[in-house]
Amino acid sequence: MKALFLGGVAADTARGIEAQLPGSLDVTIIDDPIDRRLLPAAAGAADILVSNHWLADYPPAPKVRLVQSVATGVDLFELAALPAGVTVCNAFGHETAIAEYVVMTMLALHHRLFEISGEFRERSSWRTSWVEGGEPHGEVRSSTLGIIGYGRVGREVARRAIPFGCRVLAANRTQRPAEPGVERVYPLAELDRMLPECDTVALCTALGPETTGLIDARRLALMKPRAFLINIARGQVVDEDALYAALRDRRIAGAAIDVWWQYPNAAEPHRRGSRHPFHELPNAIVTPHNSGWTGGMVRRRWDEVAENLGRFVRGEPLINIVTAGG
Amino acid sequence: MKAVFLGTLAASQAAPITSFISEAVRTEIVDDGDRPRVAAALADADIVLTGAWRRSHPPAPKLRLLQVPLAGTDGIDVAALPKGVTLCNAYGHEAALGEFAVMMFLAWRHRLFDIATSFRGGSWFWSPTVGGPARGEIGGQTVGIVGLGHIGSEVARRAAALECRVLAVNRSPREKPPSVERLFPWAELDRMLGECDAIVLCCALTPDTAGLIDEHRLRAMKRGAFLVNLARGPIADEDALYHALRDGVIGGAALDTWWRYPSAAEPEPRPSRHPFHELPNVIMTPHCSPRTAETIARRSREVARNIDRFARGEPLENVVATT
Repeated sequence: MKALFLGGVAADTARGIEAQLPGSLDVTIIDDPIDRRLLPAAAGAADILVSNHWLADYPPAPKVRLVQSVATGVDLFELAALPAGVTVCNAFGHETAIAEYVVMTMLALHHRLFEISGEFRERSSWRTSWVEGGEPHGEVRSSTLGIIGYGRVGREVARRAIPFGCRVLAANRTQRPAEPGVERVYPLAELDRMLPECDTVALCTALGPETTGLIDARRLALMKPRAFLINIARGQVVDEDALYAALRDRRIAGAAIDVWWQYPNAAEPHRRGSRHPFHELPNAIVTPHNSGWTGGMVRRRWDEVAENLGRFVRGEPLINIVTAGG
Repeated sequence: MKAVFLGTLAASQAAPITSFISEAVRTEIVDDGDRPRVAAALADADIVLTGAWRRSHPPAPKLRLLQVPLAGTDGIDVAALPKGVTLCNAYGHEAALGEFAVMMFLAWRHRLFDIATSFRGGSWFWSPTVGGPARGEIGGQTVGIVGLGHIGSEVARRAAALECRVLAVNRSPREKPPSVERLFPWAELDRMLGECDAIVLCCALTPDTAGLIDEHRLRAMKRGAFLVNLARGPIADEDALYHALRDGVIGGAALDTWWRYPSAAEPEPRPSRHPFHELPNVIMTPHCSPRTAETIARRSREVARNIDRFARGEPLENVVATT
């Protein structure tokens, strides 16, 4: 059986899982920048395509029966250009990384870590110190965490938050049972009833028709003024103007923002993530879409790809099926 | 019955504590710099709430309860107390410190400060969308807790919740809680240090623990290890720790407790004679980890309960010593 690893991410994956692959699997790697002259032969022979994309104008790949994405997303695959009835699988591994990021930023926001450490380092300010009877910060024990999107990531967040003594609520598009320690899973349609209860709101949902613009000015106004918002989902889940205004005017206490409304490109490599200056807000923690980007994630994702390739070669049921083949 | 809140630390907690006292107890707040007033207040005090007691304190002949409104009693010279005094401390801050310790280790492994600062400046360097470097996680890392008491146990529980492997060492034998994989005897501290990616100091400051983390022990730690000190600054040797952090003997530290504190003469001092604030691998906070509204409320209730018990002649909680 022949596998084509196409593109830089796939090439890294191939090198990372070399020792885990079945000896019988014939591996071809086409790294970035993709040399199109190599494609016709490689595509024509491949039974398995491992990549993050497939373009409409690539040469035919008539023997491909498994498309294994090296990412969670499969939206960059032009499936119409691949044989009908192909099985499409993706890969995860990022849940731990993102769940830790959410817990970390929830703690940093409630404990006012940046503000307090910044003024102590810069000016030796003991203003917030216990020895001065200083201004207190918060803790997360007994606070209410609302997780919007109770999927793989949302459940990992909940599992970590519960031992911190958080009261955990969740909201989900589809009905889902609450795991032990989660008080209630609201239908997404009842989100307005959950929001006023929350001291922290974590957006862990996929971007889709029901979640685009979900957190608008009206919903931000339903949140407690002392509440924090954490967004690791997609920028478009939140109304850009409304969030900036709410943070600037302290109508919510603060936010951690990992996902944005605009991204850099070849023409504008230094483009900021928003037309508003979120990076100037003292109550916003801003990170460049890397909440899932850890060494652990890369290793776990590689392991999932290797696992699936092994199963496919042995004729065993696959994991992470997005579209089952015909 | 009269209770005196003596000194800034006690004074800052007088209002919440007093609000929870239900027995008939007169309270007085006294600035410890005003010696005549201190002498007058102590002359007929049954209870004193303070963080510090020295030989130079005026006599307190009626004193029966010295209630320290915090966990650390290292500011109390027990030998300087009159006979017949019960010394008590107070907790309520374990959850806040447990959260603080894990927050710092997360911030370290996730390089939160580096990444947020870089991005705030306009750089996408750390983003996977431009091929940026991957960072770390704490799941699977080994955390070593020095001192498995009230606070150490809460750190252990939260670290385990984040899937860390938790080791601990304690001065006296005790039962091993489920969150701790292995509990080392005190004599094996150095062995534990060598296995850990993070070390969290949670022990009291005593003659046995002053200078515990010295040059030798810093070298026993892993080169990339992260030290969290929420206990007392002097548990770490000031010079050795500064040099170890500056020279890469250990990876980094989060320090909330220090060697220099504010005084009337110097209200905003640098917290050490060394410039820790110049080191990029140190997260510095001004001894604020217990300073949460919830902790203040819990601790105040605990202290008030003890004062009520004393007033009613009932057994006290959190007894540290009796003279």
